[in-house]
Amino acid sequence: MRIGIDIGGTFTDLVAISDDGKVRTYKTASTPADYSIGIVDGLQALLRAAGPNAVVSELLHATTIGSNTVLEGKTARTALITTRGFRDVLEIRDLRMPRLYDINWTKPAPLVPRHLRLEVTEKTRADGSIAVPLDITSLAEIIRTLTVEKVESVAVCLLHSYANPEHEKIVATALRKLMPHMAVSVSHEILPEIKEYPRTSTTVINAAIQPVVRAYLASLGTRLAGMGVSAPFRLMQSNGGLASSDWVQDRPAGIVESGPAAGVVGAAALSMRIGAPQLITFDMGGTTAKAGLVENGQVLRTEAMEIGAGVLSGARLLVGGGYMLKLPAVDLAEVGAGGGSICRIDPGGAPKVGPQSAGADPGPVCYRRGGTEPTITDCNLVLGYLDPAGLAGGSVALDVPAATAAIEEKLARPLGLSVPQAAMGMLRIATATMMRAIRAVSVERGRDVRACSMMAFGGNGPMFAASIARELGITSVIVPPMPGLFSAFGLLLADTEHHLSRSLPGRSLTPDMLQTQLTSLLGEGESRLEAEGFAPRQREARISAMARYAGQSSEIAVALRPGTAAQILQALPEAFAAEHEKLYGFRAPEGEPVEIMSLALLARGVPSQSRLPLGIPPSMPMATGHRPAWFDGVGWTATPVISRGSLTDVPRAGPMIIQEYDATCVVPPGCSAALDGFGNIRLTLG
Amino acid sequence: MAAKIMRADRHAAKPSLSCTAMQNDSTLPVPAQGPNPITAELFRNAIVALADEMALTIYRAAYSGVLKNIMDYSTAICDAEGRLVAQGLSLPGHLASIPTALRACLAHFKDDIAEGDVLVMNDPYEGGMHLPDIFIFRPFFPVKGGDGKPLIWATTVCHHTDVGGRVPGSNASDSTEIFAEGLRIPPLKLMEKGVYNDTLLRIIDRNVRLPGRVMGDIRAQLAACEIALRGMADLVTRHGVVELQVLLAETMDHSERLARHCLAELADGEATFTDWIDDDQIDAGVPIKLVCTVRKTGDKMVFDWTGSSAQVKGAINNTWSYTAGASYCAAKCVMSVNMANNDGVFRAIEVIAPPGTITNALPPAACAARGLTGFRAADCAFGALAQLYPDRVFAASDGGNTGITIGGTDKDRKPYIYVDFLSGAWGGRPTRDGLDGNTNMFANMASFSVEVIEAENPLEVLDYEMLPDTGGPGQFRGGVSLRRTWRMLADEGILQVRADRATHLPYGLQGGGPGTSSRNLLNPGTPEETLLAAKLTMTLKAGQVFRHELPGAGGWGSPLSRDPQAVLADVREGKVSIDGALRDYGVVILGSPASVNLEASAALRAELQTARGIAPSPAWQPLHIINKPDATSAGEPV
Repeated sequence: MRIGIDIGGTFTDLVAISDDGKVRTYKTASTPADYSIGIVDGLQALLRAAGPNAVVSELLHATTIGSNTVLEGKTARTALITTRGFRDVLEIRDLRMPRLYDINWTKPAPLVPRHLRLEVTEKTRADGSIAVPLDITSLAEIIRTLTVEKVESVAVCLLHSYANPEHEKIVATALRKLMPHMAVSVSHEILPEIKEYPRTSTTVINAAIQPVVRAYLASLGTRLAGMGVSAPFRLMQSNGGLASSDWVQDRPAGIVESGPAAGVVGAAALSMRIGAPQLITFDMGGTTAKAGLVENGQVLRTEAMEIGAGVLSGARLLVGGGYMLKLPAVDLAEVGAGGGSICRIDPGGAPKVGPQSAGADPGPVCYRRGGTEPTITDCNLVLGYLDPAGLAGGSVALDVPAATAAIEEKLARPLGLSVPQAAMGMLRIATATMMRAIRAVSVERGRDVRACSMMAFGGNGPMFAASIARELGITSVIVPPMPGLFSAFGLLLADTEHHLSRSLPGRSLTPDMLQTQLTSLLGEGESRLEAEGFAPRQREARISAMARYAGQSSEIAVALRPGTAAQILQALPEAFAAEHEKLYGFRAPEGEPVEIMSLALLARGVPSQSRLPLGIPPSMPMATGHRPAWFDGVGWTATPVISRGSLTDVPRAGPMIIQEYDATCVVPPGCSAALDGFGNIRLTLG
Repeated sequence: MAAKIMRADRHAAKPSLSCTAMQNDSTLPVPAQGPNPITAELFRNAIVALADEMALTIYRAAYSGVLKNIMDYSTAICDAEGRLVAQGLSLPGHLASIPTALRACLAHFKDDIAEGDVLVMNDPYEGGMHLPDIFIFRPFFPVKGGDGKPLIWATTVCHHTDVGGRVPGSNASDSTEIFAEGLRIPPLKLMEKGVYNDTLLRIIDRNVRLPGRVMGDIRAQLAACEIALRGMADLVTRHGVVELQVLLAETMDHSERLARHCLAELADGEATFTDWIDDDQIDAGVPIKLVCTVRKTGDKMVFDWTGSSAQVKGAINNTWSYTAGASYCAAKCVMSVNMANNDGVFRAIEVIAPPGTITNALPPAACAARGLTGFRAADCAFGALAQLYPDRVFAASDGGNTGITIGGTDKDRKPYIYVDFLSGAWGGRPTRDGLDGNTNMFANMASFSVEVIEAENPLEVLDYEMLPDTGGPGQFRGGVSLRRTWRMLADEGILQVRADRATHLPYGLQGGGPGTSSRNLLNPGTPEETLLAAKLTMTLKAGQVFRHELPGAGGWGSPLSRDPQAVLADVREGKVSIDGALRDYGVVILGSPASVNLEASAALRAELQTARGIAPSPAWQPLHIINKPDATSAGEPV
C-alpha cells in the first residue's frame, strides 16, 4: 500500500492506494503543535480499514512546515557568515518594494539579525581567482560568537563562491569539524549561481528552517518506527519532484511550496492518461486560489519565488514582499479569493471581493460563529449551490436566513439589486479575480488559454470551474476524483527529481568551459539518483539553458537536446529564437548573438512501473434529489442534486449540482457533465 | 509659519438606492443613473488588467536594463479626449505624463487620425518629460473602417537607453540647453495607416548611439499597444460601443468619488514648505529653492509651486507633468484608499506650477537629469502635507537616488559602461522607524548585484553596507545610510556622479533630527583621502578608490522619547553607536552584554530636554540646513 500525506494549515489529508488499486482516503484536522500526531492518527485509520495484511510500501509527504516556519517567525537562531563589507546584502535585498504610496509598508524582518551577520576577511574575484586570501584567524572569533549567542544554524555565503568555492569550503569544513552539532548551509552547495542577494537569501532560508524541519522529520520517524512502519519516506519539493528524507534534511529550502506543487504534479500525471496534455490547473481553497500550467504533460516551473509575498500583486511586476528563494518551483499564480473572502462595497460605491478573508474563525456568516461580513461561501449558499445541510457530509449546518440577511443589508440594498443578483454579482467579481491568476500563468507567458483544458480541485475549485472556464473560452473542464484531497493523491503520482544548476560566464563562454560544466552537472545528477536507489536505466536527464540575446537584460529557459558542448552551441541560436518568439512574439534579426548565463539539469528517477492506477471508480450513487438554485439568465430553478456515481459516459445537460463528501461541483445551464473511464467528471461548455 | 487647520466639511453623500427585490430577476437591471454596479466593477478589473498586461509585455520583451531594473516606463489606456482611464504598474513620476503627452499629440493632429496610425514624440516642450522618454500611442477604432474618433488610445512611454546628444545615455546633468541633450521628436506619425514612416526611422537610427537597442525597445512598446488593442476588441464584443463609453466614464468617476471621499476625510487647511537642491553643477554652490503650498478645502486639494526658483542652467528642470507626478504621489500617500490611478483622481487634485520656474521650465532649458528635481519636489510636497496631517507623513527620506556612471575601455580595449542608481533610506514614520535599505517612495528600483558589476566591468567593489549613526534621531529613527566603494582596475575610466543632499540634509519632523549628508570620497581611509563635490565628472585612475555614502533619512518625533530598549536594539544591531545613544537619545548603555541604565538615562534625558529647550512644536520643525547662513541648525546634534 502506497500512502500520500498532505499537511495543510487546516487539514491533514491522506490517500492510500493498495496493490490491487483500491483507494482509501482520510481527512482530519491538522495538529500544529506536532504535525506528526495527525499523520499517525490517519495512518492508523487507513491501516485498520485496509485489514491486517496491509503493508505500507512507500510514504509520500507534502508539508507546509517550511513556509509556516518562516511566516510564523519560528525559525532557528541563525547566523550568516559573509565576505567582509557585505554583511548587509541580506537586509538591503534588491531595494525593490511590492507596494506604492504606502508609507507604512514594512520590509519582512531579515531572518538573521545584523549582530549575527559575521564577516570573514577574504575575497574571490568573478573569474575565481583570489583577491584577498582567507584569514582563517577571523574564524576563531566567529566561533566564539556562535557559542555565546547560542546559534543553532549557520549560513555561509561568500562573494563569487559560484566561481570558486574554495573559501566557503574551508569555512564550512572548519565549522563542521569544530561545531559538529551545528547545522551548516553553504551557498555553493545550495545555489551555485551568480548574484549575491538571491544566493544569500536562499542559503539563509535553508539554514533558518533546517533545525525545525530536521526535528519534525525525526519526530515523525520515531512515531512511524513505533507503529512498525519502515517503508521508504519521500517528500515533495517545490519543484514538483520527490526527494528522500535524508536529502531534505540537508536541503529543506527545497520543500517550502510542497503542498501546492503536489496538486499540479498529480494533474500533469493524469493529463497524459486522459489525453489532455495542455492543462490549466485551478486549485481553490478557503482563502486563496492558485493556478498552474501543464504543457505536454510537463509542469511549468519558475526560477524563483518569494515566501510570504502574499497573493499575486498586479502582473507580478512588483516584488519584495517576501523572502527570496531562488530555487526552481512549480509556477503557481495565487490570488486572494476563496470561500472565506469578504464581499463589501468600497467608499466609491463599487462592489469588491477580498483580499480580506473571514478565514475559519469567525468564518462566513452562515457558519454562525460570529461572522457578520458576507463571504463567497454565503453567496454560494443563498444561490442554492451549497447544501444547507452543511459541509463534510452534514456535520456543520449552514444558516441560510442569516447569510441572506447579511447579503441583503450589506450588498443588495446599497447596490440596488436583489439578493440573488448581488450574490451572483459577487461570484462574478471573484471569478474575474481568479481569471487574473490563470492569465498570469498562460496568456502572460504567451500561451493560448483556449487551447487548454482546465483541471479543477481543492474544496472550492469545482464550484467555480465552469463559470471561470466560460469567461476564458475554455470548453473542457476536468474534476478529478477526490478533488478536496487531490494534493495528497498527486503525491502518489510524482517522480523523484533533482534540479541542479551552474552559472556560466555569458559572452566569454568557450565550448571547453561548457563541456566541463555539463559533465560536472550530469555527474552530480547521476550520483544523486544513485544515492536514492535508481538503477542506471531508471535515470533520466533533461538539460536546459538560461539564455538571452547579447544586450538583453533577462534570460529565458531553453530546453537543449542532449549532446556535446559543440552540438549544443550550434543548436542554441535557433532553439532560443523559437522560444523567444513564442513568448514575446518576435525574434531578433538572424545572426544576433545568443549567450548562455546558466545551465540547469533536471535529473529524474523513473519508476519501474506506472504509478497511476487504471481508474478510480466513484463510490455507489447516492439518492438523487432537487433543490432550488439560481442561475444567470434562468433565475430560480429546481436543480437536480446528484452524486458523481450517478453520472455515466453519456453527457447529461445542466443545470445540476454534483455533491461529494469533500467538494461540490456546479454545472450551470448550457454545460453538460459526464464521467470518463478514469473516474473524472468531464464538463463540456457549449 | 504655522499651518492653518480648519475642520473639514464632511461630505456625507450616502448612496440612496432603493432595494428592488424580485423573485425571478435573472437579468441584471441597468439603473437609470448609471451602469450596473457589477458590470462596472468587472469592467474596471478588465481594463486595469489590460493596462498591467501591457506593462508586463514591455517588461518581458525589452532590451534595456533601465526598463527592467528601474521600471522606468508606463503603460495606460486613455479615452478619445486623452483622459487617463487605466494605468499599468509604473513609476509614481509618470502619473501625469501620458495624458499630457497624448493631449499634445491630439492638439497637433486633430481629426487626422486613422486606423493603423502610430504616434510618437519625446519633446518635453510639447507634452514630454525629458528626451529619453519616448511616447508611443496607438488609436483603437471599434468598427473596421468606421469613421469618427477612436474609442480609446493604447499608450506607452519608455525611458530609452540613448537618444543621442553629447553624452552616452543622454542623461547628463551638466548640459545647459535641450539642443545638447539629443534627438527631439515633436508629435509625429511613426506609422501611417499601417505603413512605417521610413524617414523618421532613418533619422532616429542615425541619431542614437545604440539604434539596435532603441529599436528593440520601440518594438516592445508596439507589442504592448497590440496587446491592448486585442483586449479592447474583446471588450467591444462583450459590451458594445455605447455601453463601453459609459463604462469608461464610470471607471474615471469611481476613482474621482474615492479620491474626493479620501480628501473629504482630511481636515481643511493650508501649509507651505521650502526644500532645497544643493546646486545644479553649473552654478556650483548656489542652492535651488523649491516651494510647495498645499491648500485643502472640502474634497479638493491644490499643490501650488509658486515661489520656487527660476529655471536653472543645469539639466534638472522639470516639466509640469513631472512636478504634477510628484504632487500626486505625495497626495496618494496621505489618502486612506489606494484607488486606481486615472483622470478621476486628477480632477480632485490641482497642480499649479508657474512657467519659467524649475517646476515648469520653458525652452530651451535642459531637463535630462530632472529626476533629482522630481525627488526633491516629492520631499517638498511631503513637507507641506506633514504640517497639515502630521500622523500621515514620514520625515524626509534619502533625497532620491544617486546616479553613478563609470565608463571607458578595459585592458582588452573593449568598451564598458556601468550605470547604477543607489538609494536606501526612508524617513522615520508616525508609528514606526524608517526603512533601512529600501528604494525611495518616488521610484521603485533595484540595486545592481555586486557580483554582476565585478563580472562585467573592470571594477572591484570593496563594500556595500549600512553606516551607524546616520539615521536622523527620533522617537522613530530615520533609515541609515548605505555606502558602496569601488576600485578602478583598468588604466582609467570616466566617473560621473549625480548626488545631492550634501549641504541640505533630509529633514526630520515633529522634533526628529535630520539624517546625515551624502558624501563622495576619493581614496578613503588613506592619507590621500579627499572629499569630492556631490555632482562631479572626473577621471578615475588605475588603483584609485571611489566611495559614495548616501544620505541618512530624517527622524520623526523627539529622540528623547524613543523607547530606550529600541535604542539598545539599534546599538546591538550596529545602527547606532553607544556614543550616539548617549549624544542623540540620552540613553546610557553599559556592560556586556549591553543593557540600558534606566536611572542614568532618565537623568540625562531630563538634562538634555532642558538644554534643547521646550518640547518641539507638535506641528513640525523647520527644515535643517547646514552650510547656509540664513538657515537654522535645529537638527545639529546636541
